[in-house]
Formats: sequence, C-alpha cells, structure tokens
Amino acid sequence: MSCAYDLKVPISLQNALDLLSDAQSMPLAGGTNLLVEIRSGKERPQRLVALDRIEGLAGIDINSETITIGARATVGDLLRSTELAKAAPSLVKAAGVFAGQMVRNAGTIGGNIACASPAADLVPPLMSLDAQVTLQSSSGSRVVALDEYYQGYKQDVRRPDELVTQISMPRLPDQTHNRFYKLARRRGDAITVVGLAVTLTVSDGVCRKARIAMGAVAPCVIRARNAEALLEGNVFDAAMIETAAAQAAAECAPIDDVRASAQYRRHCVRKLTRRLVAEAWNDLEAKVEADV
Amino acid sequence: MSASTPQDTATANVEFNQLGKPLTRTDAAGKVFGTTPFAGDYAMPQMLHLQVVRSTVASAKLLKLNTEKARALDGVVEILTADDLPNPSATPHFHEAYGEKRPMTDPPLLVSDRIRFFGEPLAVIAAETSEIAAQACALVEAEYEPVQGVYDPQEALQPGAPIVHGEDNIMVERKIRKGDVAAGFEDADLIVENTYRTPFQEHAFLEPEVGLAWVDETGVINIRTCAQDIEHFRMIADVLDLPHNRVRIRGAFVGGGFGGKEECAREIYMALMALKTGRPVRLEYSREDSFVGHGKRHPMILRYKTGVTKDGKISALDVDILADSGAYLYLSANVLLYAAVAAPGPYKVDNLKVCARAVATNNMYTSAFRGYGAMQACAAYEQQMDEVAKAVGKDPIAFRQQNYLKTGDPIATGFVPPGAIWTDQCVDRAWAALGPRVEPVEPHIKTGRGVAAYQQSYGKVSFLGDTSEAWVGVEFDGSVVVRSGVADIGGGQVSSLAQIAAEVLGVGLDDVTIYKTDSALTPLAGRTAATRTLSMTGNATKKASEAIRSRLLGRAAIEFGVKPSEVLLSKGRVLVGNAPEKSMRLGDLARLCHIDGIQASELAMHCATHADLLDSETGQGQAHPDYTYGAHAIEVSVDTETGEVRILKSIGAHDVGQCINRAAVEDQIEGGAQNGQGYALSEEMLYNEGKLMTPSLSEYLMPTSMDMTEVESIILESRSGVGPFGAKGIGEPAISAVAPAIANAITDAIGVRIFELPLTPERIVNALMDQES
Ligand SMILES: Cc1cc2nc3c(=O)[nH]c(=O)nc-3n(C[C@H](O)[C@H](O)[C@H](O)COP(=O)(O)OP(=O)(O)OC[C@H]3O[C@@H](n4cnc5c(N)ncnc54)[C@H](O)[C@@H]3O)c2cc1C
Repeated sequence: MSCAYDLKVPISLQNALDLLSDAQSMPLAGGTNLLVEIRSGKERPQRLVALDRIEGLAGIDINSETITIGARATVGDLLRSTELAKAAPSLVKAAGVFAGQMVRNAGTIGGNIACASPAADLVPPLMSLDAQVTLQSSSGSRVVALDEYYQGYKQDVRRPDELVTQISMPRLPDQTHNRFYKLARRRGDAITVVGLAVTLTVSDGVCRKARIAMGAVAPCVIRARNAEALLEGNVFDAAMIETAAAQAAAECAPIDDVRASAQYRRHCVRKLTRRLVAEAWNDLEAKVEADV
Repeated sequence: MSASTPQDTATANVEFNQLGKPLTRTDAAGKVFGTTPFAGDYAMPQMLHLQVVRSTVASAKLLKLNTEKARALDGVVEILTADDLPNPSATPHFHEAYGEKRPMTDPPLLVSDRIRFFGEPLAVIAAETSEIAAQACALVEAEYEPVQGVYDPQEALQPGAPIVHGEDNIMVERKIRKGDVAAGFEDADLIVENTYRTPFQEHAFLEPEVGLAWVDETGVINIRTCAQDIEHFRMIADVLDLPHNRVRIRGAFVGGGFGGKEECAREIYMALMALKTGRPVRLEYSREDSFVGHGKRHPMILRYKTGVTKDGKISALDVDILADSGAYLYLSANVLLYAAVAAPGPYKVDNLKVCARAVATNNMYTSAFRGYGAMQACAAYEQQMDEVAKAVGKDPIAFRQQNYLKTGDPIATGFVPPGAIWTDQCVDRAWAALGPRVEPVEPHIKTGRGVAAYQQSYGKVSFLGDTSEAWVGVEFDGSVVVRSGVADIGGGQVSSLAQIAAEVLGVGLDDVTIYKTDSALTPLAGRTAATRTLSMTGNATKKASEAIRSRLLGRAAIEFGVKPSEVLLSKGRVLVGNAPEKSMRLGDLARLCHIDGIQASELAMHCATHADLLDSETGQGQAHPDYTYGAHAIEVSVDTETGEVRILKSIGAHDVGQCINRAAVEDQIEGGAQNGQGYALSEEMLYNEGKLMTPSLSEYLMPTSMDMTEVESIILESRSGVGPFGAKGIGEPAISAVAPAIANAITDAIGVRIFELPLTPERIVNALMDQES
C-alpha cells in the first residue's frame, strides 16, 4: 500500500537524465498514473525524478510544417491551446473527454504515452496523426514513430534511462478530417472501452491517406492497417466504408474485462469506424461543395 | 430547480416564518470551508493504528491463523484473533428483526473456524503507524481448507447445494395473502408474467469508515466514530461484558451513510483494542476496505404474475421475490419485509399473494441500503406496470390511474396509512414537466421517456417500537439550544431540528445552536435510518419547543395582562399585536421565567405508534407508521450502435407532506436521482466466486457530474404526514422510482425490455441484436 522513495527535483534536463541513468530511478510527471500504481504495489521505485521544474519541457509549438508538444504539457494545456484545436482536432477532443478536471490539471502527454496503457486516450489521436516520439538519455537521443513505439501490453521501446522529451507530428494537409471518439461506461473519469481516432485526407474525391488508430481493443494501441489500405486510393461509398469498418473490427484483438466483453468491443469498433469515417467523408464532401 | 405546490384549501392558510423555505443549512458553511471536523480528523497522543486482516477466500475452514511473523514486526503492539475475544460467541449482529428462520446465523466478530465470505474478518492488528499495521497484515498467514461454496441464490435452493448455515439456505421468508388470488386470475382476461433482476449496490459514501477509541480517566470507553447509530454503545458494552453506562459514543458529522454505517463491528474492534492496549486506537478503512467491510444492497430476482381485465383493472397479483442475503443475515429479515409490503406498489390489488425469501450464499452479505428492499420491488412493479399496460393496449399512465391507491385505501397489509396518497398528482406533474420530446437528429440515436410511481415507508417498522428524544432551552439573551443524540449523516438532519425549534419559538435559524450525537450527553434519538429522523426527532423537538412556548406565553400573558393566545413570538421578541408597550425581548422573558421558577427548557420524547407483529401467514397488520408517495419521470437518448445512454431529463415529484427546508428536500431528490441512475445504468459489483472484481471507484462506476442532467424537483405538500407539521419523509423515497423510470424510458426508446439491471451499453446492444434476429 505504501512505499518509501527518494524524491529528486532536478531543474535541468541534463540533471534529470543523469539521475535516470541509475536503474532504480523512475520519472515522475503528473503522477496521476504512477502514484496509483505505487499505492497498489504494482510499482516500487526507489527514486522518483520529478519533471515539473525542468524548463522548456511543456511548450506547444505549431509552425507551418510541424506540431511539437513538450512531454511535460498537461492534458489541460492541450485543451487550452486554440491553435492546437485547429491543427490537431482529435487530440484536443481526446483531451476534452480525458478523466476529470483535477487529473487534466496534472496528467501529462508524456506520461500518457510512457505509461503504455492500451487505454491511454491521447495515443490513438496521436497515432492517427503520424506522431513521433523523441527519447532522450544522457548518452543521446532518438526519434521513434509512435506506431512503432509499443510492443505489447504495457511494453514500449523506451529504455528505463530514457525520457520522452517531446512529441511531434506533421501539419495536416488541406482536405483532411481528423476525429476521435471515446466510448466509456460513463462520461467523467472513465477508463476507455473503445478509443477510436480517424484521419482521412481526400483530394479530387479520392482518399489519399487514411489512418485508423484503435485504443483499448488490443494489448496496446494499434492501427487498423488493412482497413486503412482498403480506403486509400479509393472513392468512398457506403459499401466500402462498411467493408473497411468490418476490417478494422477484424484487426483488433480485444479482451473481456469488467468493463466490457471482447465481443462488444469488436462490435463497437465496427460501428464507430463506420460512423467516424462516414462523418469525415460527409464533411469533406460538404466542404468540397462549399468550395465550389 | 423546483416547482411550487398546489395547496389544497384545507391547509392553504398555514403561514410559517421559515418552514418550507430554501434556507442555508446550519452545517453548510463549515462543510464548504472545510472547518467541520469529521470523525477522521480526531487524533490523540500515543494513538495506535488498527488494521483488519480479512480472508482471501469465500468459503473455507480456517485451520490455522499464524500471527507470529506479524507479531515479531517492529512496531506491532497487539493482534486480536478469535481466541482473544472475551466472549467468543459475541456478534456484531443486531437483534431487532422478527421472521428469521433461525437465530443461528449471527456473524462472528472474528472467524474462529468457518469462513463464509470473501473478506471476512480474521484478526485485528494494532501498530504504531498505519504503514506498520498494513505490513503486519500481509504477514498474517491463514491456512485454509477449501469448502465448496454457493454463489447464486437460485442454486442455493437446489437439492444438494452447499449449505452456508444449518439445514438449508433459506434465511427469511415473508408472506402476504389478501383476497382470493386464484379467483382473481380466473377473472383476468390476460395474465402477464415476467421476471426482473436487480443488482448489488455499494453505498460508496464520500467518507469511508473511520473512528477513534480511548479509555478515559474514569474507565469509560469513548468512541468517536462516523455512524448512523450511536446507540450501539449497548451492543459494544455487551460484547465487552461491561455495564452499558461504561461505553460512550460521540459522533461527528457523518460523510454519508445510506444504510452502510448501521453496523458496528469496527467500533467493537476499537473498543476491544483500546481496553487491551490501554492506548487510544484509530481505525480507518481505505476505500478498498470499505468495499469489503460493510453489507451491500440485496440483489433480487422478482417474478411478477399479474392478472388484468381487458378494461385495465388488476384482478390478481402473485409475486415471488428471491433475495441474496450473502453469508449472514444482518438486516435481511426487515429488508424482505419491506420488499413484501411494497410488492404491489401504490396500486389497489385486492387479490394478492407475495412470497419473499432471502437465501444464504457465500457472497458478500447484504443489509441496509436506502430504500431497504422496497426500492428493489419498485424496480420490478413499475416495469411490470408498463408491460401490463402494453399487453392490454393501454397508455401506461392511464393504466396506472385506473389502479392507484387513493387516500384512505388499505395497502397490501390491510393497513390504512394515515397520510394522503397523492400518487396521481405526482405522476401527472412529473410527466407534464418533461415538456416537449427531444427529437434526435442523428440516425443512430433514439429517444424515449418513462415514468414510475412508488410507495415507500418512512419511520421504523412498527412492531419494533420507536422513540426519540430532544431537549430544547431558551437562553437569557433569547438564543436557543437544542440537544439531541441524532446522527447527521449529511441530509441536514440537525439543521432541520434547529429550524423546527426556531419556527416554534419565533427566532431565526442563526439563533439556534445544536449539540448532537453524544450517547452520554445528548438525549437519545435513535438511528438515522428508515427515513425516521425528521418524523421522530423532529416531533420530539417540536414537542419540547411547544411546551416551552406555552409556558413562556403564559408568563408573558401575566406580564402584559392579556390572554396567552394574544401573545406572539416573532424575530426574538414577545409581542401583543403591535402595542409597543406590550413587547419585550425573548431573552428577558426567559429571565423572568427563571426568577419565577418557570422552566424555559424541556426534554421531550416522541413515541411512534407501536403495533403487533404482522400475521406470519397473511402479513396483515401495520408494518410502518405511514408512507410517502411520489414519482420520477425520465427522458433518455440511446445510441443504438454502442448502447450508450444519456439521461436528458430527470424529474422527481414527491408529496413530502410539509417541507421543513426546501433546499434540503431538493438535495435529497437530486441525490436520489443520482443514486438511482447509477443503480439503473452503471454501478456493478461483479463477484467471481465471492470475490469482488470491481473493488474501486475506477471500476464501480457511479455517475459523475458529467453524467447527470439538471434534476428538477417538484415538491407537493399534503401536510398529512405523521412528522412535524404534517411532514412525511423524503430520504429513501427519493431513490425509489428512479431506476424503473429509466428502464421504462429506455424500453420506450429501443422497443425492447431488458429484464436485468443495470442497463449497461452491452446489454442494450445485445437486446437490440436479439430483436433484429
Ligand atoms: C482518476 C483518474 C482518471 C484518469 N482518466 C484517464 C483518462 O480518461 N484517459 C487516460 O488516458 N488516462 C487517464 N488516467 C491515467 C493518467 O492520468 C494518464 O495516463 C496521464 O496522462 C498520465 O500522465 P502523468 O503525467 O500523470 O504520468 P505519471 O503518472 O507521472 O507517469 C506515468 C508513467 O510514465 C512515466 N513517465 C512520465 N513522464 C515520462 C516521460 N516524460 N518520459 C518517460 N517516462 C515518463 C512514469 O515513470 C510512469 O511510469 C486517469 C487517472 C486517474 C487517476
């Protein structure tokens, strides 16, 4: 139930990375995940390295090419950025249905990625936006595509001495729709049953790029690559959307738990994929017409 | 939000200074600013910390309990096991029910041989810190020999099922027989039979159980605890083999009870440890402890068979109720009584047969929870009313109207409630308040609406007897003191008593100070349960205040040379009309009385009418003092693809008799709407072989503010109740009709009924798929 640990509060990134090179250390961001795990005895770190005094780790930077978000940005920070709401609507939507106010004030995007939960709400939108994760350690840094970051249930490619320092993603081209839906058993403070993010880019009536990322329906957040492939290069119609939705449902690998059965989750992946793709498609069509 | 009341002509002229107005409760500021101490805020030097060791299996023989390692841990001071109990057969069971099949089902205080549910207490540890106590807990080793358990009440009735106690698993059986059921079914044109299932429910009060006990300089054991009942001091003394006057419970404001803080095992552990160690001891439950540490709402399987004529009269009703009592009896006998009495609902059923049984299993034991069996019955009868209406092709409200009990009609037990029965007004008002129906725009959304009416008792079971006391006094400056042992569990109980005294004595609410919840120093008021506190202690407070008032008026009449009936008490002054020379301050009058030896204080007792036991074969007689009637109306939207439900409108209309504090009544209606919504939609205690799989608030899903819509309260005042000024009760009634109203609304939306609560998205999706195929 309880555990004694040493708390370090470095003020520089270098200092933090040095502390983390000791195998007994763990990063502490908002603590909204880690403290729960410590209380239940699932984690027993000897030393926590707090990230909140480190300068420059929480910014949101948006230029014409790229969106860059510091790992220490809180869910609330994402919600308050009006620019981000335009540039990455699904991410801000996910931030809006994330936990409750208190947790949004503390929980960070870096912590959400690093906790490697299949139900982490920011991950499907980020994955659908082709996000990349920067990992830094005292010996160097590397960039990993988010869709290659997870390896299984609560498993990721991050070494214990590495910090997630930032998340970046390309700006969306015109004619792109980007949506997220959180299906959960209640509206506030709920663990997601199915999280679904869809990004579709269309030009001349043809789907140029499709991204479908699914949360809480596999050991980690995954993309529905076959469903994406069915959409890409094609002209939309209802039958095709239905086929792609069925394909997404076939690609997920949900389990039964106290929140829902695998069967229900699969059913909802199908319905929600169809709904989100169709909504995006309808909006884009409307937009094309409006442009004319 | 609330709408005002239609007042009937008989009572329309009553004028109150403050009753019925939405006042700020006397306990509000302290709670809002965080200055109110709760039981967990008290600490003492040298205090030890307790932790309860619990079983990790649901059904087993306890072969050995090894405490050596735990005892050896530095900082562990004492460990109590069953062997250390002064009286090994002592039990935390309260014997107040009649109708148990056997008295042999008392839970042990600590298990000595047989474990019957998961989490059953095995030992109590006292240590220097709570961390050490927790560590020691993990070091206690229990050796079990598995015993086959039974986890389903229907299976528990099968021949050859594992037996939890004694000879069979039936713990309680309650019957009601009225008229001729066979003949009633003969007269029916149609018979509609359905089985409804209701789930476990956790109270999940904000404040998990906590308390502090110490032995004072005179040897009296003092216990500061959050409890609905401070009169358990008697039971605690009995277990310790001490005279009753050597145990004192001092309460604090309680952070919610809902029936879950009526038990007293934890106070007994504290008392035993304080005595044994000679040091103050504190026991605080974590949320996880709380989930396994007190009884839950009874899950029930309710079979309803209704005979109805084609013009819509109910001609017969046969109800069979099977409840899971879990491993021990606790309050099951009374809960099943409530369920049986409530079974036909607020309807006139001349030919009635009810059989209600509680069955032992190796699940968590079940006991008191807001509504106390009657609300489970309501969940069934109000869904059944819609089903029967549909079967005879009638509008659900019109069909109900044809069958309502009216004021003066006898209920299921043959008893005629003294108060009014305003079901029809409540249903009509709630339904009308739904307004125009929300039309869904998206193709996958459907909307629907439903209503449910109820009958819920207020006041304790009549054959148990019930009294409550309060002391009121006027000071020389005109301020007023009320003393009462009432436990305020968050409903504004003490504030209402202050308001009653203020109303009668013509002072403001701020002029009253109330001292509460001390079994030694405040007059005993009984348990805050059964929606009895306002009617019982409210009446005692009113009686005391009126006695003082009449003496004060008598003295003032002499002073002013008028008749007592000409004297008024208002705003802290004593007045005769508007004659300035015939006026004085209330405090000065109190001083005059003092000089003359006229008592400006009074201790009063209110005693509920006592009745004989109900007939054991027919259930006929007086079960309760009176009943509250009302209704809840709901509009929902349902996502037919995912099964998600949104509550769009939630409206409670209740005849509360007389509001004391309108704001507090609205609080109850809003809280009941939330509590009932969770029960209907999302709260699930999933047990696997007796082990709770949803033991935290991240898995046990109560509605959050995001899940609630604004609840509308429609308050009707018939001024016909047995409480003070004609008040009825609203604490339990507020939850009764919420779940069936939601179920009826969802059925209306999707066109198919799901017979098992909660109505989870998954059940809705499955029902829709079944309907398609
Ligand atoms: C009541 C409640 C509701 C919640 N609701 C939601 C919800 O709706 N959706 C959702 O997705 N989550 C939810 N969570 C989980 C949690 O809030 C989120 O996962 C949050 O994003 C975690 O961020 P944090 O900053 O608090 O991480 P922490 O708890 O500080 O850390 C989590 C893990 O990540 C590691 N870590 C943190 N930052 C870094 C970094 N920069 N680099 C490397 N490792 C790092 C830590 O060592 C730890 O292992 C909820 C939690 C609670 C308590």
